[in-house]
Amino acid sequence: MNTLPLPTTDVTPPSLPMRTLRFLLQIAGYTLGFLLLLGLTFLALRIPAAEALRSLWTGAFGDAQNGHLAALSNTLIETTPLVLTGLGVVVAWRAGLFSIGGEGQLLMGALAATALAKVGGHLPAPLLTVLMVLVATLSGAVWGALAGWLRVRRNVQEVISTIMLNYVAKFVVSWLVLGVLQEHTHHNPQSESLPNTVLFARLLPRQWSDNMQTSLHGGVFLALLAVLVIAVALYRTPMGFGLRVMGQNAEAARAAHFPVDALRMRAMAISGGLCGLAGVIELLGSSTGSLPANDFSSGWGYTAVPVALLGGLHPGGTLLSALFFGALTAGCRNLSQFQGVPTVLIYLIQGMAVLAVVGGRASRARRTGSETE
Amino acid sequence: MQSGGDAGAKRDLPLPTDGVSPSRLTMRGIRKRYGATVALNQVDFEAQPGEVHALLGENGAGKSTLMQILAGLTHLDAGEIELDGVRVAIRSPREARRHGIAMVHQHFTLVPAFTVAENLALDTPSTGWQGLKPYRAPSAAAQALDYARSLGWELPAETRVSELSVGTQQRVEIVKALATEARLLIFDEPTAVLSRNEIEELFHVLRQLRDSGKTVLLIAHKLAEILAVADRVTVLRRGVRVASAPVAETDAEQLAAWMIGPALSAAPKAINSPASMAVAQRRLSPALEGKGIRVRGDRGEWALHDLSFTLARGEILGIGGVDGNGQTELAEALTGLRSMESETLTWEARPFQPGIAPRIGYIPQDRRRIGLATTMSVSDNLLFDAVRESEFRRGPFLRSKALGALAATMIQDFDIRTAGPDLPASALSGGNQQKIVVARALRGQPDLIVAMNPTRGLDIGATRFVHSQLRQARDQRAAIVLISTDLDELAALADRTAILSDGQLTEIDLHAADETQLGLLLGGVPQATISEVEPNA
Repeated sequence: MNTLPLPTTDVTPPSLPMRTLRFLLQIAGYTLGFLLLLGLTFLALRIPAAEALRSLWTGAFGDAQNGHLAALSNTLIETTPLVLTGLGVVVAWRAGLFSIGGEGQLLMGALAATALAKVGGHLPAPLLTVLMVLVATLSGAVWGALAGWLRVRRNVQEVISTIMLNYVAKFVVSWLVLGVLQEHTHHNPQSESLPNTVLFARLLPRQWSDNMQTSLHGGVFLALLAVLVIAVALYRTPMGFGLRVMGQNAEAARAAHFPVDALRMRAMAISGGLCGLAGVIELLGSSTGSLPANDFSSGWGYTAVPVALLGGLHPGGTLLSALFFGALTAGCRNLSQFQGVPTVLIYLIQGMAVLAVVGGRASRARRTGSETE
Repeated sequence: MQSGGDAGAKRDLPLPTDGVSPSRLTMRGIRKRYGATVALNQVDFEAQPGEVHALLGENGAGKSTLMQILAGLTHLDAGEIELDGVRVAIRSPREARRHGIAMVHQHFTLVPAFTVAENLALDTPSTGWQGLKPYRAPSAAAQALDYARSLGWELPAETRVSELSVGTQQRVEIVKALATEARLLIFDEPTAVLSRNEIEELFHVLRQLRDSGKTVLLIAHKLAEILAVADRVTVLRRGVRVASAPVAETDAEQLAAWMIGPALSAAPKAINSPASMAVAQRRLSPALEGKGIRVRGDRGEWALHDLSFTLARGEILGIGGVDGNGQTELAEALTGLRSMESETLTWEARPFQPGIAPRIGYIPQDRRRIGLATTMSVSDNLLFDAVRESEFRRGPFLRSKALGALAATMIQDFDIRTAGPDLPASALSGGNQQKIVVARALRGQPDLIVAMNPTRGLDIGATRFVHSQLRQARDQRAAIVLISTDLDELAALADRTAILSDGQLTEIDLHAADETQLGLLLGGVPQATISEVEPNA
């Protein structure tokens, strides 16, 4: 048997430059296709395409006339929560769990932070900020672990339980914010505003952008840090290894004595923690730091799923894909402001982008006959 | 039109291979490549109505691929297919069925939660509005059940498939294929999971099918089975057709030579020789002593009751029996995956703590379902255990370089044929996939090795490799529990053997026992198990 040669191979695994080139070509292809799709959409809606595209671009990246900083900072602001919730989906998915609970976990994070701010208002500002971040992350983790526990102990599918827990979180927030956590005048459906010292600092000085206040805040660094931490945790630690084995084949993970139940709980907790962190970052990054009873999140927990899918369920890819979604959101906001375009257009565009990429991948996988994740 | 390989005998063949009637099936110049591997290279294949045509070859020889092309499960890169003289293109399983081709899969395609009738009804053709009409499973399945009766089988129509023995499940699978009015039936290693009696019965059915004019294509590994049931055999090796000949004109040695090539054919019988030499010398005081062991099955019933056995270091205890008699439960209990009750259970006079004392090496029964994460890389699959050892960690992080080096060593030591350690495990042939599982189980010299059907579906070369690895582990004083449905394997490897049947262990000397005694121990019981284990919750 040792004398037999290897099976005939005339395809060797591609080298790194080749793979990079292929990747770049892919990106170029997707960009071209996306622009084409956008153009057609504008045509169908009878919006002047060239002007609309320019407006979209200006919204996301600015122009020479108004400067780039304001627009870029808007894009990054929109990107930040999506990076974190997207990572949450990635972690769960890698562990073979389909969590759609980002929305609820994010709300619970923001809620816990708000509650802490109420009882701990006397604490020194930087300490309170740090505590709020920690407590929010923890609360999100608990909310996620709850779905994990239901899966492990009660065999409730996490797809169902996370959606249900989203509703629970949403109404708990409304109830508390309209109740014990409401601001002291009891006029507005929101919690108390927080002092500026507690909120995240604005990063860009006014004089850089014609004395206009840009919204970019320190939360963006936390999001970047999270990408790094999650990438390392998934690919460089025994726990991440176990998670990935479980995600690919839970039976094999069990037979190899990986603690499958504990890993499921942990994956859901980490996923929830990331979303809780997103919640508090949004809270502390806002201009007042007050939590509204409704519509705090603009669907970050749900958009997380396409963000993660578009990012190839990989932390680095998720960062890029969140940037894309962030830019799209910022751009669309500009577009709707100046041309009376419906705001729902953004969801249409996002949906088409995801379908194009996922569909493209699937057809490529079918052509090569290889398995994709 | 068919070259007789190197058999070259010049007497009248019992089969119409001289082109008088058109062949049922002709495949010409079939080519198929999977990524880096050429699975089939210019393969010709031909089969007649009313014959059992066996397809023989090692794992990765391409026989499964050839049949999958025929069944519409995968597409050919080049070549043509003719059915009864008409050229056809088979692009999907549905089209294959329309052409009268049905496949009985090795991994069953039944819905476990459905009853037998429902499973059979699933396959009755329903198109367009037909599919929306209300139907009752028993009536939709009536025709299929009639087929079953014509073969002498009374299938329990209202029983869920998950509660049937593997043998009965296969019958359902066969009936399902027959009910499509197929003229060409493909059997993918049908004997892999069957007991001796069941195999004999399957062969009877194959002959019946042949006599009714159907073409039966049989993917097989075991030479004895081919000699027993096939009329003609085509041998593939590494994606190339080596020979095609009437079985009457060949013998086991010739087939083995064709299959393995010149390198190995010298002593193909070696794996069947009993290995227990100097057993008495090795027989030390038992390391593992168990009395009154009870283990529950998945549905809460007692799968094993009151089991007692001993096992010494440097000894292989072979446990035979038909699948579903408590084998899985025993393997999982011994490896610590399933809790058990016992009067006494000790390892070297201390309480039995699997994973700690003894350290365990586990070769689970189904490499694709349980043994591997096939979408992950070869090296990842090799490192399932290593990543949790402190030696391969620095703080909370993995030592990637050390792990990579370990994987490379394992690939070399266990002769795992892969184009690279980062290729997904799914790209490897079955034998090489199993080598990953074995390499992982034997790394670091475990005290107790539990191996379950470690060579199922493997070719002779890979089987021999696994056997020699197990023998080597035994010689290095590991205690080995070998659970296998293959009695030849047990006879060849085990120092002591016992039959596990209906949760009871009966010690028996395979070399001394007569066929009927064995047959009674093995067979007869599964039917009783089915009726006993009714769903109770």
